[in-house]
Amino acid sequence: MLKPRREPSTGALLLRPIALPHPSGFLGRPGEVLEISPSERWVGSDVASSPADWERVGASCIAAAGDAPRVALDARGLSPPFATALALGAVLRAWRFERLKSHGTKAPRRIEWIVDDPAAVAPDWAQAEAVLAGVAFARELVAEPGNHLTPRAFTHRLRALREEGIEVEVLKRKALQRLGAGGLLAVGQGSVHPPRLVVLRWKGSFAAPPVAFIGKGICFDTGGISIKGATGMEAMRADMAGAAACAGAVLALARRRSPCPAVAVLAIAENATSGQAYRPGDVLRMMSGRSVEVVDTDAEGRLVLADALHYAATRCKPQAMLDLATLTGSVVTALGHHRAGLFGNDAALGAVVAAAGEVVGERVWPLPIGERHREDLKSDIADLRQCVPAGTRFTSDASHAAAFLREFVGGLPWAHLDIAAMDTAETEGMLAAKGTPTGFGVRLLDALVARHFEDPHRV
Amino acid sequence: MLDIAFAKPVLPKSGALVLPLAEGAALAGLAATLDAVMEGGLTRALEAAAFKGKKGQSVTLWAPQGGITKLVVIGVGAMESADIEKLGGNLLPMVSSEPHATVAADGLSAAQAASLAMGAVLRSYRFDRYRTTEKAEDKPKLTKLTIATAEATATKSAYVPMKAVAEGVFLARDLVSEPANILTPVEFAERLKGLEKLGLGVEVLGPKEMKKLGFGALLGVAQGSINEPRMVVMRWNGSGKKKTEKPLCFIGKGVTFDTGGISIKPAGGMEDMKWDMAGAGTVAGLMAALAGRKAKCDVVGIVGLVENMPGHNAQRPGDVVTSASGQTIEVINTDAEGRLVLADVIHYAIEKHDPAFMVDLATLTGAIIVALGHEHAGLFANDEELAARIIAAGIAVGEAAWRMPLGEAYDKQIKSDIADMKNVGGGRAGGSITAAQFIQRFVQGRPWAHLDIAGTAWSSKDAPTCPKGATAYGVRMLDRMVADHYE
Repeated sequence: MLKPRREPSTGALLLRPIALPHPSGFLGRPGEVLEISPSERWVGSDVASSPADWERVGASCIAAAGDAPRVALDARGLSPPFATALALGAVLRAWRFERLKSHGTKAPRRIEWIVDDPAAVAPDWAQAEAVLAGVAFARELVAEPGNHLTPRAFTHRLRALREEGIEVEVLKRKALQRLGAGGLLAVGQGSVHPPRLVVLRWKGSFAAPPVAFIGKGICFDTGGISIKGATGMEAMRADMAGAAACAGAVLALARRRSPCPAVAVLAIAENATSGQAYRPGDVLRMMSGRSVEVVDTDAEGRLVLADALHYAATRCKPQAMLDLATLTGSVVTALGHHRAGLFGNDAALGAVVAAAGEVVGERVWPLPIGERHREDLKSDIADLRQCVPAGTRFTSDASHAAAFLREFVGGLPWAHLDIAAMDTAETEGMLAAKGTPTGFGVRLLDALVARHFEDPHRV
Repeated sequence: MLDIAFAKPVLPKSGALVLPLAEGAALAGLAATLDAVMEGGLTRALEAAAFKGKKGQSVTLWAPQGGITKLVVIGVGAMESADIEKLGGNLLPMVSSEPHATVAADGLSAAQAASLAMGAVLRSYRFDRYRTTEKAEDKPKLTKLTIATAEATATKSAYVPMKAVAEGVFLARDLVSEPANILTPVEFAERLKGLEKLGLGVEVLGPKEMKKLGFGALLGVAQGSINEPRMVVMRWNGSGKKKTEKPLCFIGKGVTFDTGGISIKPAGGMEDMKWDMAGAGTVAGLMAALAGRKAKCDVVGIVGLVENMPGHNAQRPGDVVTSASGQTIEVINTDAEGRLVLADVIHYAIEKHDPAFMVDLATLTGAIIVALGHEHAGLFANDEELAARIIAAGIAVGEAAWRMPLGEAYDKQIKSDIADMKNVGGGRAGGSITAAQFIQRFVQGRPWAHLDIAGTAWSSKDAPTCPKGATAYGVRMLDRMVADHYE
């Protein structure tokens, strides 16, 4: 899709980042576009001073290109890291999901990457390409509708990662029953498509406990018996974005041959309504042995994650656990669509997660788990309840969910990212076109591993 | 307010006696004395009750000796990690049925003993002005609490400034507890005028003066109510300088009742909106505390007092108002009124008082409860030092604040098609952040912090140092911050 060249080919639309004003009124500010000739457009790049800035400029270039099938991205004069960032932003923004359109499918856009010296940018680009592969893998999964990406189909896609040197283990219903995965099984029992727990393992090259990614993979979330309102329910096909991001991150690590051992534990199920579905009031026995009172079947993510976290903590013996989940509407109210919610039990891990997010432009913000949040989960009938009953006008459900998950991490260093507001691009001007999946989390996890878990002397 | 006395540690001749006992500690001081007088009876009682001094444990003995009517032995847990103030709060309900109680504080330092008294006083708050048929035997009887300590004098002098702060807390709790038919903006201002007796300069501005100042945003909120708005400026000149320069500035949202206006709120729980003036109540309590303990700094507290009603002249969604700063605001939701009030008051604070910094307090958004719950207030700030100081002071006094983000992406959400900005950010996403962004547009880059106290101003259950109801959240935190850094 991206081809490095020294000069643009004839007929390609040249996209030039420009930081200078032009008499036409173009000031060179980010987001500005000037059509300087039919074959050349200027894109504002003033104050771009970090790779993240240049990624956004790259994305703006593609946004400015409209429907042009062949574009040339002018990275001449930029240092290799910035030139790579420009290209990375462009490729991320150019990503499309058109597999399900039978008519009018456009040919994949070809991007010429105009650089001073193709050899000089090659090493940086190789790294970027690995991450891109992970992001694209995650985005494809998120984009797939619920009737296509059933738990079985999701598992099938994950099995394909074996070709990448990733070990893939699939636990089906029988195995889950043997493990006593009462949370995952209950959530999945209302669907004709049974649930799965999929474990991806990347060996890395040094002997250390792995970093574990735990993902919520609800292929479609109707809410179950506590059914959701009809408006906007179609977006619930993306309720597996956490699992997709975890899988994408493992792929990125494999592609760039990361030395760090990593494991992803993905809880995959469909939360459907049926005569078989689990009910509010049900009491579940989780894999950890704890009993949980179900209050709201639409708070299913924390139930499947609880089992996945317990599995990861006890079977994988990780040095750190990070879970990603489109978990609560409450985090959207809290932080809007610009940051994911960060929770955890380990301040140092939280700090490095936040720092990794800043570096790649996948920003997070810490939110609390207070004593009250844990107290609110006391149940009259079970060890704990899964959430606070609806009806109270304002409840801090994101914190309640995190307090719930904390009960299943076995005291290991753990961070939880509630990415409910981040799975799909809400506005233009992002690294994904509006309304398309972002792949949020892949780059953050990859950067986190690169920055903090690849030094064998640290562990 | 509960009367606190300090006395040498001798066994009281009457009333209740409280013995705090650390985990695993042998009986000492007053406890040992009592045990001796009881010929080992106390030791036996504690053994029989399996009392180990753990936190939360307590043993009660009725009429154990002499004139002592009730003996309460209360577990402290490990002495090193004990929160003595909370202990003071927790012991209070155990003796509130007695007219007089003595607490043996002979094992505590003077500062700790004073904290214990403070905790008890804070817990003793009761708002019973409107209970006319309550029987005498149902009311708490405790009027006097004696702290028995060898360091009575030192303890007393440590307690004097604390008592002033407690009075500020009680003032704030009173204001917040008052129903809206009593506490109108005019009545609120009247009560603040009464603070002049503490040495505060109090100036009250009415609609005429505010109109002259161009307070289009605040007056737009007020115009739907028959109760006139007020702005009250409270000045404390504690530095002793003739001309005060760069005072510290605290600003409070004082919506005495918030129906939501034309964008009316649902009926369920609307009675809570009597405390939508808690920001202003807190600022009033803080000013009273600072004046009461004669803080050595210059402070100005400003509150915007309005009632948000859907009267026939009420402002409408879609209205555009011009704030005192000249910036225009499209009112999308009349229930996002607090920020409109703050916008004008903050502008006034800057123009008139040139403050060193501004901290505003407001029960501003339901979104902050969804974000954080009821243990933390949301803290937004454009100044790292100020934010860090507020958080640290909050931790010290048990009023927690949690930092929340600001940023350009959120600011974009309040762009308006017709005016300089709109008063809500489109949808519920990031609702308390967009509210903070709105306020930030009026601070002119000055050091500023905003505390969204919608989740912490009122408590639905008893806490050790605060009975359920109005908490006065912020009074102690900001008093502490001033004491730690600005005197």
